[in-house]
Amino acid sequence: MSAASPELHPRRAAELLGRIEENIHRVIVGKERVVRLAAAGLVAGGHVLLQDLPGTGKTMLARALATSVGGTFRRIQCTPDLLPSDITGSSVFNQKDLTFEFVAGPIFANFVLADEVNRATPRTQSALLEAMGEGQVTIEGVTRALGKPFFVIATQNPGEFHGTYPLPESQLDRFILAAEMGPPTDAEAMEVLARREHGDPIAELGSVVSLADVVELQEGCLRVVAAPAIRAYIVSLLDAIRLRPEVSLPASMRSGVYLQRAAQAWALFEGRDFVLPDDVKLLAISVLAHRLGMRGRAKASDVLEEIVGSLPLPPLRQH
Amino acid sequence: MASLRRFRLPASPIENSVEGRAFVFSGFAVAVLAVVLYGDDYIVPAIGVAATAVGHVVSYRERAQKRGTRRQVLLAGLVFASLAYFIADSVGGLFGGVLPQANFAILLVAITSFDLKTRRNCYSSFWISLAILYLAAVYAWDYPFGILLALWAICLAGFWAASHLRRMEARVAVPIKAVAIALAGALAIGVVAFILIPQPNLEPSGPVLVSLPNYVGFKGELENPALPLIQLSGDPSGSTNSVDLHFRGRLGDAPVMYVRTGAPAYWRGLVFDTYRRGVWTASLQGFSTVQPYVPPHLLPPAPPDNNGTFVQVFRVVRPLPGVITAAYPIQSLYAPVSSLREDPYGTFRTPDLLRPGQTYSVVSYLPNITADVLRQDPYVFNPPDETAAYMDKGNLSPQAQALAAQVTKGHDGNEYDLVMALTTYLQQNYQYTQQLGHVPGGRDPVDWFLFDAKKGYCEQFATAEVLMLRSLRIPARLATGYSTGEYNPVLDQSIVRERDAHAWVEVYFANHGWVPVDPSPGYPSLAATQFPSHWAAAGIARLIPHLTISAPMAALGSLGALAVIPIAVAVGVLVTLAWAWMRRRRRTVVAIRAAPGESELLRLYERLQRNLGRRRAPPETPLEYLLHAPLANPVPEGERGILEEVTQAVNEGAYAGRWPDRERLHELSKRL
Repeated sequence: MSAASPELHPRRAAELLGRIEENIHRVIVGKERVVRLAAAGLVAGGHVLLQDLPGTGKTMLARALATSVGGTFRRIQCTPDLLPSDITGSSVFNQKDLTFEFVAGPIFANFVLADEVNRATPRTQSALLEAMGEGQVTIEGVTRALGKPFFVIATQNPGEFHGTYPLPESQLDRFILAAEMGPPTDAEAMEVLARREHGDPIAELGSVVSLADVVELQEGCLRVVAAPAIRAYIVSLLDAIRLRPEVSLPASMRSGVYLQRAAQAWALFEGRDFVLPDDVKLLAISVLAHRLGMRGRAKASDVLEEIVGSLPLPPLRQH
Repeated sequence: MASLRRFRLPASPIENSVEGRAFVFSGFAVAVLAVVLYGDDYIVPAIGVAATAVGHVVSYRERAQKRGTRRQVLLAGLVFASLAYFIADSVGGLFGGVLPQANFAILLVAITSFDLKTRRNCYSSFWISLAILYLAAVYAWDYPFGILLALWAICLAGFWAASHLRRMEARVAVPIKAVAIALAGALAIGVVAFILIPQPNLEPSGPVLVSLPNYVGFKGELENPALPLIQLSGDPSGSTNSVDLHFRGRLGDAPVMYVRTGAPAYWRGLVFDTYRRGVWTASLQGFSTVQPYVPPHLLPPAPPDNNGTFVQVFRVVRPLPGVITAAYPIQSLYAPVSSLREDPYGTFRTPDLLRPGQTYSVVSYLPNITADVLRQDPYVFNPPDETAAYMDKGNLSPQAQALAAQVTKGHDGNEYDLVMALTTYLQQNYQYTQQLGHVPGGRDPVDWFLFDAKKGYCEQFATAEVLMLRSLRIPARLATGYSTGEYNPVLDQSIVRERDAHAWVEVYFANHGWVPVDPSPGYPSLAATQFPSHWAAAGIARLIPHLTISAPMAALGSLGALAVIPIAVAVGVLVTLAWAWMRRRRRTVVAIRAAPGESELLRLYERLQRNLGRRRAPPETPLEYLLHAPLANPVPEGERGILEEVTQAVNEGAYAGRWPDRERLHELSKRL
């Protein structure tokens, strides 16, 4: 069991991530958990789904995160008439030299905010999600690599169903994390108002880490140790979910992989080079809840909370 | 409370192995079989086995369920009911069995078999069946009992293998090579031992003598309608005045009497002094009648150099001649008969036959007679007058007299060595047999024994020795009665059987009077009573198949190489088990050695949790436990600090594989 890479000491990782979080908190008041989840999604090399009502700061969070790491940021406002080529880009005939010229779409950026992703048609959704999964797009037979790091934050408005195309479970499964912004407390709300009194603070936001640092963090995340006990814990968690009668679509193997990866990222925030069962417990709902199919009125997060609260830890003694 | 909890037995795992449970039942069945065979009891054992079979099925089906109070109460009630039955059976002999204790134990097993959930329960059942086996051993005296014991041990080993090895996930593969080597080695040792151990009186019929043990209990019927050894004559007591060497009964295994005694001794009956043409008679006639209780002052005083006295209580179980057999010299005696008659040889007779159930008690002196003591006595060539009757060598042939002189040549330093020279000569050069044909007509039985047959039974040996001693001018006489019999030092009881009927020699020593000497092979040559060995193993030894090397040499001869087989099997099984165990252990030690510091730290963590009064719940992570730990209020100096540090160390160890080193552990445990 080797420690983290010599290039990235866990303490430096924690310091870098602390800087990012601190920077984001200059525009997002409170919401420490969601901010950290978003950043963890980035470090884990996955994509994050934010679900909440409009106006809760989803876009702001995505923009602040993008700005903090200094990457290119593009936003896709999904509508029913959005076409796949609007996302990926397409060849345009250049009349001057009579050739076709590829005009890159908004997907060719480090940070992509797919706003209200459930408003796009399934065809467009799948184009986006395919790009998310592969890290590359193929347009007219030519495969083009996307930015590195490539990070998509998709938002979804759960309150409004009219004219939407809800993401199928297979698509939801591609997001490593799903988070809800949640309503602000009174104090937070007043602070938000105070900060906006004289303008928008995001305009003054600068980058605090480089893109290279982010890539380094992503590589460091892979070196975080997940002990056999942690793996056993994750497996028993997935088993426990499968055994629940309320669950019609249990957690996939991919979700287990994501849970481990997210826990590895989460450990970096605390300067650890190993995963604790606490990390798994904290992330279980965020990683698993959105992909479970439930029967009746049962809520996935409630069931998960119950399971996490009662599932015995693997024994501390390994031998 | 916490201190009380410490005394609680560690939890025992639920026994899931069907094979293991089958072994438990089989072990019990073997023990019950022993009770049936040796206790002559059939009703309770049969009921017990049937109930236990049902009980095993029930307890296997319900092994995972909690114990219900109602059933526990019912079982406890049944235990007390069987205790009541035991008391009633002991007093009233309900079913006529001789082992009410065994019946009680069988019922206990039957009752508890409904409650065999854990491995420990199964072991308890085993120990009770061992107790049953032990009770049966009280009445078991033969070789097959060893087979039953071995079967029981196999059941125990089988259970152990089924339960423990399976749980350890070890596969029991029979190490064929080791077994083969062990068996071959044990057999080789046995054969070598068989060749090297001196086999007196053995007349080999071929190079290898294999004889199977005889399982048929031989009920001896005497050829002569008399009782063991002694032929009926006109005496109303059924006792006789003569022993005819021409006739000999065949002796069976049936018990003649039980003797409760403080020391194993030869039980002497009549003595004879005159030998004429193959017939022993007593020359002194006449009786003095005495009261049934003979106090010490009516009897000769204690012999010099007396070690003390010991009490014998005889219980007669088959009709016997009216002779009080007992250890001599007698200090006092009591027999519940109308009166006793004492003959001139100091033997007491009852007026009638001794009937089954008759008891009598005798207190005997225990003179200090050992080889060293007897060597002090000189070889007196002119014995005192009162022994004149014991010097008549009858019509002993010159040939025999010459043999006596030749054998004892060079041993005449003292009387004892001389007597022993002749005794050991007879023991070593003549074969003991109970299947001797009739003495040919016209032959003197002694000469026939000494020079033709070269084998005989006790009377021939004794008669030859008496006459030969007399030819050497040593007073001697023939004593008859019973040898010690099956002496059990645990129970202080001898079981005397027909085949223990015996004849031996009494030799007169100047300072010690009549000393018993036994020339028959397989018997101690100096037959004087000694205090028994109360060494515990002496009692245990007779419960397991074994050979006593010094005493019945003849037994070894008759069993042959077969005698080694139980030992060989036992050694082989032990070696195999030990070998398998060591192999298994070696493998597992390599496979599951804990990381250094792991066990120590986790033990420390456990101790910390115990000190805090609440253990970490299974779903709780160490960090959560730290947050919710029930710390005293106010927090004592450093308590949270140490918990925090230990928690961190545990996390690092369990989830990063970095266990603390020895110094850190030492420091933590010191602070704790």
